[in-house]
Amino acid sequence: MNCKELVYLLGDYIDGTMDDHLRQELSVHIEMCEPCLNFLKTYDKTRILCREIRPEEIPEEVRNRLRAFVLQKAKEHHRDIEKYLERAAEERREQVTLVIRAYVDNRLSPTLSVLFQAHRDRCDRCGAFLRGINGGKKIPDVPPEIEEHIADFLEGLPPGENPVVG
Amino acid sequence: MPAERLIDDNVLLEELRKGTPEAVEMLFDRFHGKIFSLAMSILKNESDAEEATQDVFMTVVQKAHTFKGNSALYSWIYRICVNTCLMRLRGKRRSETVSIEDFMPVFTEDGMHASLIDDWSKEVERKALDKELGQVIRRFTENLSEKYRVVFVLSDVEGLSNEETAQILGLTVPAVKSRLHRARLYLREQLTTYLREGKTQ
Repeated sequence: MNCKELVYLLGDYIDGTMDDHLRQELSVHIEMCEPCLNFLKTYDKTRILCREIRPEEIPEEVRNRLRAFVLQKAKEHHRDIEKYLERAAEERREQVTLVIRAYVDNRLSPTLSVLFQAHRDRCDRCGAFLRGINGGKKIPDVPPEIEEHIADFLEGLPPGENPVVG
Repeated sequence: MPAERLIDDNVLLEELRKGTPEAVEMLFDRFHGKIFSLAMSILKNESDAEEATQDVFMTVVQKAHTFKGNSALYSWIYRICVNTCLMRLRGKRRSETVSIEDFMPVFTEDGMHASLIDDWSKEVERKALDKELGQVIRRFTENLSEKYRVVFVLSDVEGLSNEETAQILGLTVPAVKSRLHRARLYLREQLTTYLREGKTQ
């Protein structure tokens, strides 16, 4: 091994990933070669010095400005999400109520009517709720778990069909 | 990374996803220094680094729910930071960088050192890392092209493992090691000149 080869292998030598055989060869060379020993010492020292560099300190006013910006924007972002979720929940509630109303009034589209009745007969929770209001004029508040379930069921319907007729 | 920090990170993420304001504050307080200094070392300009830091935090807040936990939180955030900064650099005229090839050690035809190799390591030991030397090193690294600079900053300044650096940058470990090695060779050469002549090139 010559000095040039040694220098290009120093990275592996220092981080300990070199295999023993090669390491041995390198150590022997370094013992006998002062320039390489000096090179190794200064290479390693360079690495150590760099670990000691203090990171670029963030100026106080930059930190304050950033902090205010990030907190404000995050707040707006989460408010937007909340608004979106509220709107989505509202839309879902409206849709479920609309479908139940149509079911009670017999105004479901023919396809939906078949699917909805099949679901009612298969699903204990929805069935119990729907039978409870069957024929009633006033629709009671839909409990959240029923709403969720009916909404899930509606999600699975073929798209494009208007669920309510008349 | 100690385990208790990892648990903290999970709690922090959970709260971030819920939109808890305290979680955003905690996220900021914990990471802003690192993000800013990383952005500074890539962008080399305070106002760019400030804008990049804003973008990084907004990305983290908005994408907290997409974080899968395959890597540590800080390494995910570093990756976002590096990508944000590199995107910014892409839109800019490159600042002057030196050619690293000009600072590689020189050898004779039969592979011996072509110049005298001093051992200045003890000399530096005595004066420790003073402020001036720290600034000199920083200036030398700023002159590196970002290909080497980013690897160097993550591995040798931030102290990440080569594997982590590779993951953050989407490089292979051998590529990280070879860039890191060349960056160190360059810095060793620059430091030698600086210490011998007492001035920067």
